[in-house]
Amino acid sequence: MSIEKAYILLSVLVFLIGFLGVVARKNLITILVSTEIMLNGVNLTLVTVDKYLGKVDGQIFAFFILTVAAAEVAVGLGLVVSIFRLKGYEGSSEIVHLRD
Amino acid sequence: MEWLILGVLGFWLLVSVIGAILVKNPVHSILFFLSSVLAMAGLFLSLGAELLAGLQLIIYAVAIVVFYVLVITTIPWEKVKKFEGVYKRELIVGVPIVVFVFCLTGYMVLKGRLAQPAGVVEDNVREVGRNLFTSYLFPFEVASVILLVAMIGAILLGRKEE
Repeated sequence: MSIEKAYILLSVLVFLIGFLGVVARKNLITILVSTEIMLNGVNLTLVTVDKYLGKVDGQIFAFFILTVAAAEVAVGLGLVVSIFRLKGYEGSSEIVHLRD
Repeated sequence: MEWLILGVLGFWLLVSVIGAILVKNPVHSILFFLSSVLAMAGLFLSLGAELLAGLQLIIYAVAIVVFYVLVITTIPWEKVKKFEGVYKRELIVGVPIVVFVFCLTGYMVLKGRLAQPAGVVEDNVREVGRNLFTSYLFPFEVASVILLVAMIGAILLGRKEE
């Protein structure tokens, strides 16, 4: 087993753990943290394949993923705060209606 | 030596990631996430992506983590304490699915073959900058528009209703 495959397995594991966090966490803010973990796992795959292939395109895609992560955090936390202001709680099991 | 670095940093990364999704308190979860970001920056350094490691530290470990902590301080603590931790049933259902998907993907990764290497990157930062400002100039400009729209959206969402 070459070392690139070990890196790819590690990043797959990080992605799946982040997915498990999205499924199982109760708090909306920690669900956002889990999505950040998933994005980090994807970044690790891109950089690993980049190192193996001897190119830099994957790192540029990783930059764009960083940009999208920053935008996602700004909008997502704004949504969390406004949901909290509207309903008074932020458990993911309680927010099941689009509007009521 | 490479395997030693991968082992230490990968163990650190996995421990902090599992802690981030399982620990009860949201602030502790964010601190575990900060630790995982540091481990990830170390992995990027060991893979030879110096610019990405620096940006990871600047954007994730400074901007995003501080933003999370600021938002948590604006929410009253008793309301947060009502919804902390994980759902037991979803966790019990989710763990076998995750293990199954990991075994499937791991089998594909171990049995499959990667593409042929195209060359060796001499100077990482110079190559990244050259590619970013020639081949990827248009996506780079679009990224600035994405950030602007996200800023306007966050301001609109966070505004108090009159």
